Amino acid sequence: MKFKDYYETLGVARTASPDEIKQAYRKLARKYHPDVSKEAGAEERFKEVGEAFAVLKDPEKRAAYDQMGSNWKSGQDFSPPPDWNSGGFTDGDFGGDQSDFFESLFCRGARAQAGRQSQPRSAKGQDQHAKIMIDLIDAYQGAKRTIGLSMPAYDDQGQLFMQERKLDVSIPQGIRAGQNLRLAGQAGPGFGGGPAGDLYLEIGIHPDPIYRIEGKDVFLDLPLSPWEAALGTTVNVPTPTGALLELTIPPGTPAGRKMRLKGKGIPSKEAGDLYVVPNIVLPSAETEAQKEAYRTLQGAFDFKPRSHLKG
Amino acid sequence: MSNTHITWIEGSIVEHEVHMTMVELAEATCTPQDMIMAWVSEGVLSPAGGSPQDWRFSGNSLQRAKTAARLMHDLELNLPGVALALDLLEELDQLRSQLHLANAAPNKE
Repeated sequence: MKFKDYYETLGVARTASPDEIKQAYRKLARKYHPDVSKEAGAEERFKEVGEAFAVLKDPEKRAAYDQMGSNWKSGQDFSPPPDWNSGGFTDGDFGGDQSDFFESLFCRGARAQAGRQSQPRSAKGQDQHAKIMIDLIDAYQGAKRTIGLSMPAYDDQGQLFMQERKLDVSIPQGIRAGQNLRLAGQAGPGFGGGPAGDLYLEIGIHPDPIYRIEGKDVFLDLPLSPWEAALGTTVNVPTPTGALLELTIPPGTPAGRKMRLKGKGIPSKEAGDLYVVPNIVLPSAETEAQKEAYRTLQGAFDFKPRSHLKG
Repeated sequence: MSNTHITWIEGSIVEHEVHMTMVELAEATCTPQDMIMAWVSEGVLSPAGGSPQDWRFSGNSLQRAKTAARLMHDLELNLPGVALALDLLEELDQLRSQLHLANAAPNKE
């Protein structure tokens, strides 16, 4: 286990006041909150910052942490001192996402205690949440996934413990990013004959290199040469399932004018649409013949692209 | 090794098929029902139905409620703050998708 320098995590001095610690935490928490930041590693950082704050905001925990001395460097191999007693920290304030380092200091006592809480005679099991990532094609066609989850379960003595479970889940066609799949009765066990909780799987879709996804609608950038856009043409447009659709580009198609292929977006009761967005690409004039072609173009038009600008 | 038959668990898409009651939404988000009512009065959630017992939450209510709960807990935002943050995050999401499209435009060398 590596030692964690909570002061370093928050970027404050060991002598920082509670206000300074809170300020530093708030700033970092806003920056790295997984709902706000889409930066890679933000969630990891957010947890670290949260863990550091959970210790340093609490005068007792901070004192206990400080007591280990300032000689430790972040990342050093660490095991709690033999006289360390974590039994005092049982306030159940911890979400269960803490590092091993944190658990070794503050959670052991709390965990042992949790099983002994008095329970109502019968209760519904806890709902659980997890997130899974699929590809765009899975949303079009549906998919089957086997997922591993850590789930609470009761042993013979009625003690709660965590158990690894594998679930074979069928992902329905037409699901969109940010939507949730409810698997009734697949989460925490009920107590005293109560029903099991529900498992909610939040769906994420990997960014696609070609298509942009907006809810149930899908967008595709379609590069066109200037003459294709000006004179019109017919192109084959690939859909996310691999099928090719023949699309007529009318003469005089401007860049950015969306063309809608109705019902070719993510399928569902009301299927989404596939939008093709023309994008006019200019070839660069490199050879003399190519330059001459542009000059001919110039001569053929009385084209004033900046006529709407004054001066 | 024996051949095991896999039973694929079928779920329901919350946003399409499920209309959650206040009790269900409270359980699914580990939030007291009072808080759900406060979110409704602030416009964070808009259920169908007249009174709290009749409320049915559909669409992206679960997602919004989960985000609202996390933001209130993690950043200690108050109700109007959460409502504002959720609206801004939604807008930010749209802008990010547009940016993604712009960056992915094939005319960049």
